[in-house]
Amino acid sequence: MNDGVGGNQRRARFQALCQSLRPDLLRFAFWLCRDRALAEDVVQESMLRAWKAQDSLLDESAAKPWLLTIIRREYARTFERKRVPTVDVDELIAKEEPMLAAAEEQDLGEMRAALFKLPLEYREPLVLQVLLGYSTAEIARELDLSGPAVLTRLFRARNRLRAALGEDLGADREE
Amino acid sequence: MMDHARYRMLISADPHSSDPELRAHRGTCAECAQYTERLLRFESRLQRAVKVDIPTRAEILPFARRPARQGAKSWRSMAIAASVLLGVLVAAGIWIALPGASLAADVVAHMAGEPEAWRRTDVAVPDTALNDVLRDSGLRLSGGAGIVSYAASCAFRGHRVPHLVVQTPSGPVTVMVLVHEAASHPAQFDEQGYRGTIMPMAGHGSIAVLMRDPGGADLQRIAAQVRDAIVWTR
Repeated sequence: MNDGVGGNQRRARFQALCQSLRPDLLRFAFWLCRDRALAEDVVQESMLRAWKAQDSLLDESAAKPWLLTIIRREYARTFERKRVPTVDVDELIAKEEPMLAAAEEQDLGEMRAALFKLPLEYREPLVLQVLLGYSTAEIARELDLSGPAVLTRLFRARNRLRAALGEDLGADREE
Repeated sequence: MMDHARYRMLISADPHSSDPELRAHRGTCAECAQYTERLLRFESRLQRAVKVDIPTRAEILPFARRPARQGAKSWRSMAIAASVLLGVLVAAGIWIALPGASLAADVVAHMAGEPEAWRRTDVAVPDTALNDVLRDSGLRLSGGAGIVSYAASCAFRGHRVPHLVVQTPSGPVTVMVLVHEAASHPAQFDEQGYRGTIMPMAGHGSIAVLMRDPGGADLQRIAAQVRDAIVWTR
């Protein structure tokens, strides 16, 4: 009986944790997958994996990076499991138009479409930094890169975005 | 000695960096200071762009499976539904009885998606970007508020509200100007590692001011300082 009560409490606590982190994890998965339905599946599967492995989370304040790592692995597994056909980015943008549109600010829609077109190697560190507030060192650890490599990717990511949005980079154009 | 190219590469990689070398270069190079200002305007848009709206789902992660089964309702599932409904009604009752507490909870919940709110930096958002955010709410800030390092117009309880981060000697302080949320008296809260206060602003709703890990900071004084720096333009 006590186990049941304790189990319910654990479950409720874990559920509350997932609920509080869900919006940002779902946003991260969305930028990773560029597909809302797939992002929801990846997050859902990741949460179940996390529940089963919750004993490995020693410090609840580290839950966000812990879950994020699980999501990245789940995303990689998704592509191992099923051969996802190559899709035209413009088709992805059209498909996810409701998520990318920003009624109040038209230029945000353009920025989001440009983000969709960034290669994963640039998109992922940029989203980790801008959406989740990761430092350069934290991104380096998560992506298994060196600090200078992360800085280069972040610099290139912003430059590509700015160029895609028609900003004149002038002397800052690196590639 | 840092050159322009190196400065621009590093600041583009992390526009909110508080590296003293970058600050020193920016202080002596007008071109790079202008470059930073343009970059921060871009960054403000980028920060809003990555925060796509997430549709609210009724089911509770991670124990609900998608898609929901149809046409197989058992007494057990109906009993669960009834208990959820009862829970919602009780929660709604508490919410109505304790508007201050629920407002604080919503403010704290909003912070979970705002990593900029606890970043220490001395780089201010450009005045134009700050004024764009404040204009729609009919206010501007006088210089007494301190360095505003982040400004965004955020969706909150069905309205767009200014969300600012002000750098103080005690650390970054998040300010949400809630012109649509009236408060009858000041209320303090301490939730999920955030300590804050909600202060009424006569005729202009309320203001929520909060810090993460505030230590010994005098939050009431900081809140009053920010509130006093608000100039209403309508």
